[in-house]
Amino acid sequence: MIVAEDLTRVYTMGRVEVRALRGVSLSVARGEFVGIMGASGSGKSTLLHILGLLDRPTSGRVMLDKTDVLALSDHQRTQFRLNRLGYVFQDYALIGELTALENVYLTSLVRGDPEEEYLRKSTDILERVGLGDRMDHRQSELSGGEQQRVAIARALVNSPSILLADEPCANLDSQTSKSILDLFRRLNEDLDQTILMVSHEEWHKEYFCRVVTLRDGLIEEVTECRKG
Amino acid sequence: MPVLAGLRVSAFLAWKSIRRGSKGTLVLTIMIVALIFVNLVFLPSIISGVVETFDAQSIDFDFGNLVVEPREGSQYIDGVASLQRQIERIPGIVGTSPRTAAGVTYFYKGRNTASTLYGINPEDERSVTRIAEFMTEGEFLSDGDTDAIVMGATLAGTEGDEGGGLPTLEGVVVGDSVRVDYPNGETRTYRVKGIFETQSFGVDTSAFITNREMSEVLGLQDQASVILVKTEENGREEEFKRELLSYGIQEEVRTYREKAGGFVDQAIQSFNIINAISTLVSLIIAIVVIFIVIFINTVNRRRQIGILKAIGIDQQIIINSYVLQVLFITVVGALVGMVLNAGVTTYLTAYPLVFPGGPVYPVVEASAVLWSVASLFAVSLPAGYIPAWRIAREDILTAIRG
Repeated sequence: MIVAEDLTRVYTMGRVEVRALRGVSLSVARGEFVGIMGASGSGKSTLLHILGLLDRPTSGRVMLDKTDVLALSDHQRTQFRLNRLGYVFQDYALIGELTALENVYLTSLVRGDPEEEYLRKSTDILERVGLGDRMDHRQSELSGGEQQRVAIARALVNSPSILLADEPCANLDSQTSKSILDLFRRLNEDLDQTILMVSHEEWHKEYFCRVVTLRDGLIEEVTECRKG
Repeated sequence: MPVLAGLRVSAFLAWKSIRRGSKGTLVLTIMIVALIFVNLVFLPSIISGVVETFDAQSIDFDFGNLVVEPREGSQYIDGVASLQRQIERIPGIVGTSPRTAAGVTYFYKGRNTASTLYGINPEDERSVTRIAEFMTEGEFLSDGDTDAIVMGATLAGTEGDEGGGLPTLEGVVVGDSVRVDYPNGETRTYRVKGIFETQSFGVDTSAFITNREMSEVLGLQDQASVILVKTEENGREEEFKRELLSYGIQEEVRTYREKAGGFVDQAIQSFNIINAISTLVSLIIAIVVIFIVIFINTVNRRRQIGILKAIGIDQQIIINSYVLQVLFITVVGALVGMVLNAGVTTYLTAYPLVFPGGPVYPVVEASAVLWSVASLFAVSLPAGYIPAWRIAREDILTAIRG
């Protein structure tokens, strides 16, 4: 499902070279809910960006669904993100001019799905995340938790094989965070959804099947947390 | 991904941005495009109006469509009556009017001025020019008149108005007597039968008597300085000129444009230079405004563009959404511009600009409108495309981080 081998990522900031990843290898099986944890600057977001095809490693290899994604052209990477990946950002990243429903069906529209189908799928998924009565509201009319649920619905609408979430609860209170994590757990358990989630909250560990802890761009520890 | 699906998404994003974006910015941009459109159309419409006014004035009052002149080396055309009959037999010729010109001095109440006096056959003149329809006082000449004169409003003048350098007798009215000194030393006194005002500078500073009187004073017989020719439709002067020559007319034949001696052509040329500069400035303003609006728009949405790319939306779809917004702004701007232009045209038709050749009515030609629309699109599309393309090709994470 996800195979990352010996990933390095070196940034140049002015004259300073920052080695964000220094040889990370990771394998995630289908249906796993993996947490990527570590202190700030440990490289967890960089790893997720590379696995989400938002960034390229300096060296290494990434196979997603048996596809060597580093060999893909920009256009192919865009198509891969559209059809095979779902990405949830820390700050929701909704399109402010669109309603919740429009935000969700936007990517289905891009895929050229029939209107009836994408409307049904988007409505279903918004109802599943508890926003059945908020579909016509725009970002400014939704709470943080609701916005994040819309972002999750958007990430799931095209039935991605991998869902990537970059600190999705960072801006939420603990109660809302819990509801989001419960949602992820249900997706993982009920739909066998593969999820990779970056977090730095210790209490999130109880939701993950496995936790990969990074430190200074290297995997420090891998622990099993919950039976999948 | 099918191209149509991509365009559909671009249109969807563009429409949502237009509907839910800043209304103030949208209206302001549309108004700027509309005013640029008005500017692009306005000056050509005035130039067309000047040309049309000049053509109408020249044909209706100065020359008719064609002017037959004496052969080289002759002062007068001989055998005028026979030549008239010969010309009038040509299909498409609706009238001819022989004119005899003399440079004379007018005397009136101790004042005098020099100008041209024409001898005409009043009925023939009516078949070619429209001067008789523009009498402001009194009546036009009749064929039998010998002691009557009709005078242009400028030449007749107004009491106390020195005419700003133009020939004027400062206050002649119908019924007054005016003395005329001819170049051959003859002197006559005529009763003013009528005053006309055509707004044509050359005509309103002249006067007319009958050819019968003029011929007697100058000792001419069946002779004239020129014969004006009226054709059944305007715009085919060159064709009729060739026709006249093919019928064996030995005299010189000129079109009214040739008679004008390039004066208006020069004026039009100058207008066109001004128009070209004005057009260039307008289009540069259009480029800059649209570029700035789209640039600010894309910079402000840099993060949004990054997010769209991150969730799998192709860069070209994003660029196209901005191009479609520009298309919308340009189309609506051009439509608003057409409405504004219709308002300006209506106003200037009711209250025309007055040029030395007469009132000028704006003439909006379809070609000028099409050219203006095409120019607006030609500058708007790259002005919208370039800033969108610059931001959309940015690295996703850089764009998301803003």
